[in-house]
Amino acid sequence: MRPLLLAVFLSAVQFGFLSASLQARPLTGEQLYDVACRACHSLGTAPDHRVGPPLGGLLSRQAGTVDGYQFSEALSASGWIWRLPTLLAWLTDPDAAIPNNAMNYVNPLTAEEVQQLSEWLLQQP
Amino acid sequence: MLTRRRLLEGSIAGLLASASGGCNGMGSGRRVVVVGAGLSGLNAALILERWGFEVDVVEAKTRVGGRLWTLDHLPGSPEGGGNVMGAQYGRVVHMAHHLDIALRTPPRTLPSDYCIGDQRISRDRWASAGANPLPEAWRTIPPQRLMGKLNETNPLLKTRAWHDPNLMASDRSAEVGLKALGFPNAAIELINANNSYGNNLSDTSLMALYRIMGEFGRLSGPALAVQEATLGNMRLPEAMAKQLSRPVSLGEPVVAIRHSPSRVQVALASGKTLEADAAILALPLPALEHIEVNLSATQTSLLGQIDYHKIVQLHCIVDAPFWEGAGWSGSWWTDGLLGRIFTRPIPNTSRYNMTVWINGDHCDPLNALDEAACTETITHALWQLVPEARDVTSVGQLVRWSTDPYAGGVWALWRPGQAGTAHGAIRAPTGRLFFAGEHTAEAYRGMEGAMESGERAALEIMRVLV
Repeated sequence: MRPLLLAVFLSAVQFGFLSASLQARPLTGEQLYDVACRACHSLGTAPDHRVGPPLGGLLSRQAGTVDGYQFSEALSASGWIWRLPTLLAWLTDPDAAIPNNAMNYVNPLTAEEVQQLSEWLLQQP
Repeated sequence: MLTRRRLLEGSIAGLLASASGGCNGMGSGRRVVVVGAGLSGLNAALILERWGFEVDVVEAKTRVGGRLWTLDHLPGSPEGGGNVMGAQYGRVVHMAHHLDIALRTPPRTLPSDYCIGDQRISRDRWASAGANPLPEAWRTIPPQRLMGKLNETNPLLKTRAWHDPNLMASDRSAEVGLKALGFPNAAIELINANNSYGNNLSDTSLMALYRIMGEFGRLSGPALAVQEATLGNMRLPEAMAKQLSRPVSLGEPVVAIRHSPSRVQVALASGKTLEADAAILALPLPALEHIEVNLSATQTSLLGQIDYHKIVQLHCIVDAPFWEGAGWSGSWWTDGLLGRIFTRPIPNTSRYNMTVWINGDHCDPLNALDEAACTETITHALWQLVPEARDVTSVGQLVRWSTDPYAGGVWALWRPGQAGTAHGAIRAPTGRLFFAGEHTAEAYRGMEGAMESGERAALEIMRVLV
């Protein structure tokens, strides 16, 4: 290949096709759970050493009712049932959803990410 | 040397990696440089590696851990840096469990007596002591609990929204704010004598104090005991670093970071240059000031404007409890040069760790001295306060965070007017540069804030690096 053509080809490969572009790509529910939830919440249904309650079997569960986990009075008394609308409201702004809760968390996710994460969480056994 | 053949090989390898979807479906072939091997940088690096990114962590110091620094060479291995893992520090505690780092309830620090001027006051006489400068209604409050009065009016006890525009009336000088709230001058002076959350109250935002005291108010309680790593808090970042595929490059100060719309170049003092798709600047702002880098105009104007807390510590070892029999409790709160003296037993021995802990602008004259003169000044004052300590106490280690060029202080402080917007602006991604560190955390401060910020920085990179 002549030098000029080679340079053009390499330039196209390196910067046209391969260069990592900065454009939003939707993250999966699993990825969002891994980054935003995992350190404080396991999946499954049994509490472990983590600060927050386990998030498995969430769909239709009443808030504040995992055996062996001590919830805030506010969450236990909320009467909330975890379904998509309640989980969306909770993850978007826990303070506004159930004031005086014990989850010291400020949502870093976009509305789309909260939706993606909520749908994924509600499917976990 | 980059030859055409290597460039072509690299390009083809990259194409193949992209085509295969890479490890875990994303990130493969994408390189990230993390500047700073404290908890925030290490946590971000671990997350990004899990999702297939190639991560290089570079650290200016010859150790990992940043502002965690266990003084392993001293009996009892006292903490020269971050010392408390709050009960709600979920990320820190989980990481410790995950990496088999044993945690324990810290040995109980001995109760504190007081020294006002040259008057020593036992703790049971504080309320009635003539040297207690507080007015009648406040006299029963010990000096170290005066700031807690702030929670009687704290709007952040029920919310974490410390940037809420509706609350910004409190983003003003804490000294002015405390006066307006009815704190007597004597109380303000006592708070200023040993304030862990501002170098001085006049230059600290009341909202920042609301944030801190609100966190204590929400998260404290008998069931929520603090913890520490049994063998020293440094074991946590050390174990995190060992989990990384590539070893952390230690003793590698960064001198310049260049970034274009397509690449980042991180130039090290050693002459090496690292190329990457993105960089996380996980280092304290005073350290960032030493690096040549183009930030946003707002960030550039903020650098140097955001204050960092000053702490000077002198770590001592006590061979025998000199306070027993003399009517003292073992720790002291003073309004003089010594600040506070925290004494706690070294488990399974008859010895004690005793730390002289000086805060804020009171550190300035000490930081102006060389190490020997600083140590001598503090020990001279210590022997004056507790002459009985002299024969049974040895000096172990002077710790000065403000004079450390890779720290510049212990944590970020928010000046009046900065709680509203500066915190968000300083961490906003700039092109391919992302920011982590306790100063960028939202919900927590300290170690947990560092971990939280690492998550957020990793998330920001995962969102955009396709």
